[in-house]
Amino acid sequence: MGKRVLYIEDDADIGSWVKEDLERRGYEVDWLVSGEEAVSRVRAADLVVLDVMLPGLDGFTVGRRLKKEAPDVPILMLSARTAVDDKLQGLQFADDYLTKPFHPDELAARLDVLQRRYAASVDQPAACGHLLIHPELQTVVDSRTGEEIPLTAKQLQILLYLLRNRGQILTKEQIYEAVWGEPHLDRDKTVNVHIRYLRERIELDPGNPQIIETIRGIGYRVK
Amino acid sequence: MINSSTDRNRRRYSLRQSLLSKYLLIVLCALLIVPLGIPAILIAVSLQTRADNRDASLYDSNRLERMWHEEAARLDNAAPEAIDAALNRVKAAYPKAELFWVDASGATRLKLPDTIGVPASWSASDAVAFMKGTSGSGVFTVVAFLGDKPGGGFMTLQLDRAEMRKAGGPPTSRTYLLLLAAILLVLGLFLFVSLLFFYRIRRRLVRLETAMTAPAETGIPLPVDAMRMDEIGRLEHAFNAMIGQLERSRKREAKEEALRRDLIAKLSHDLRTPLTAIRSHAFSLGQEALSVKGKESLELIDRKVDSLGRLIDNLFSFTLLTSGQYPYHPQRVDIVRLARMHMAGWYPAFEQAGFEIDTDLPEEAVCWNVDPQWLERVLDNYLQNVLRHARDGRYIGLRVSGEAGGRIVIADRGPGMEAASKEKGAGIGLSIAALMLKDMRLRSIFRSGASGTEVHIFPDSTLTG
Repeated sequence: MGKRVLYIEDDADIGSWVKEDLERRGYEVDWLVSGEEAVSRVRAADLVVLDVMLPGLDGFTVGRRLKKEAPDVPILMLSARTAVDDKLQGLQFADDYLTKPFHPDELAARLDVLQRRYAASVDQPAACGHLLIHPELQTVVDSRTGEEIPLTAKQLQILLYLLRNRGQILTKEQIYEAVWGEPHLDRDKTVNVHIRYLRERIELDPGNPQIIETIRGIGYRVK
Repeated sequence: MINSSTDRNRRRYSLRQSLLSKYLLIVLCALLIVPLGIPAILIAVSLQTRADNRDASLYDSNRLERMWHEEAARLDNAAPEAIDAALNRVKAAYPKAELFWVDASGATRLKLPDTIGVPASWSASDAVAFMKGTSGSGVFTVVAFLGDKPGGGFMTLQLDRAEMRKAGGPPTSRTYLLLLAAILLVLGLFLFVSLLFFYRIRRRLVRLETAMTAPAETGIPLPVDAMRMDEIGRLEHAFNAMIGQLERSRKREAKEEALRRDLIAKLSHDLRTPLTAIRSHAFSLGQEALSVKGKESLELIDRKVDSLGRLIDNLFSFTLLTSGQYPYHPQRVDIVRLARMHMAGWYPAFEQAGFEIDTDLPEEAVCWNVDPQWLERVLDNYLQNVLRHARDGRYIGLRVSGEAGGRIVIADRGPGMEAASKEKGAGIGLSIAALMLKDMRLRSIFRSGASGTEVHIFPDSTLTG
């Protein structure tokens, strides 16, 4: 069964198009033209796509109410306004932000990322190359042999963090701060060292890594 | 309407409350005191002089002599007690005088005072010696026979001539002195009142000046208390009215700015919504079976929608920036970290376009005091330019160095800036970047050559503070 999206948009043209497009991509869409009813319907949704310029209630007000009602439902703000203060105001409760005219592929990709980020707390098993990763069990299994690959706590945390942000490049500062929970210091090689050891465990050829990609000068990525 | 009432006011208080009329009044007072005061002084002096003259005539030698002879004539055959009483009476009138009388036998009777050095009994030679002693000396002497005929004894009055002059001295010099003092007093008083008058004017002017040059927190001076309605009072009222106008215009300006902001937001919305609709229909069309040409057209529509969206964004950002409405929150930012994070976001786009991505970022932090969102926006503008206008070079270089206050370099191998800026839409994006850099006390220079373009961003040393 597809994910349920609560979509709030006042423009009929855009609304029907987005609804159609998302439904074609396998989402179940509940489209409202105003924000009044949204609060009572948010509990039934997995994701919210919210237009800021709504008639009646302002999009920001609706967004805050929705977040208060259902804090665990991610909200993507859709806006035609781009002033920076709008962005800041929106991001206080919105999980992501997309400005019009957006491309339907980008909307779908953002929803995908949002959903994955929220799903990470539910933690579905994920396949990556020859690896099968079970976040809930905190194990990594070699899918060819069915054997568990032993990893240190930090190595596992790094791998899971990269996996949760799959496709995104993460800098060593981001990785360090997410895994160690402390501010990253200059010249610190901890992340590089941990990733080298992690590769020795999980890569088939650590000299030519296939799972964790190095983006020279920038960071790492799991595709 | 307002003007005519102001005119009326001006006319009404110009006479009664003018500083000019006040000062004229002071001058008039001073001028009147002199002609009125001098006769008054003269009268006072003459009254005094008359009293003095009475004293002076009392000491006049002729009068004294006449008085003494009259006294003596009245005392013809008088009893010695009556003579004593007469002498005592004269003594009371002339306390400085020395009096004595001698009876018919030549014996000195009463001496007033008792210390007068005259013989107790007179011989003829004594009388001659006395007469000789008095003539030519500084003592005025009158001798009169009792009953005004020889043989009945005589009485003598002596007075120091110096005492006589003092008692009846000339009154004129004192009058002049008094007159001079009075004139000086009037002049002094006039000077003092004038000084007070101008001192108070000065104090009020200084107070006004202080109020004008010490503005309140809002940047507009506070109004002053205008208590009087003279020239300075009117100046104070005018000043207060000016402040009122300034405050009103400030409020109006803020209101207009808010309106403009709102208008921009609404315009942005109203322009973007149909753009989104155009894109949606183009996308739906793309789902249909189309010829190659049709697909190309759709791609073009899609690209144009994108660039129009950016153009709208840039246009509104530019408007906000130039009117100082773009929120700016400077903080200490590690530009190495910011550049790395930013490039991580752009990496997939360059990767997809087949770019060679070359980054050279130092290990140490390089810190600038800027708004990170602004710097990101600037980098966005340059990177977007590379992606759109330097595709042919298929190269993007991002370097950060910590030397000389830090430097960010974005390099490409495109056709160069001249060619790039000919493309529509690049101009406003670069203008926004330049404006933002200037506000962050940074500057950028372009080094364009056959091998491509480099943009260098670094702190502007000419903008310190």
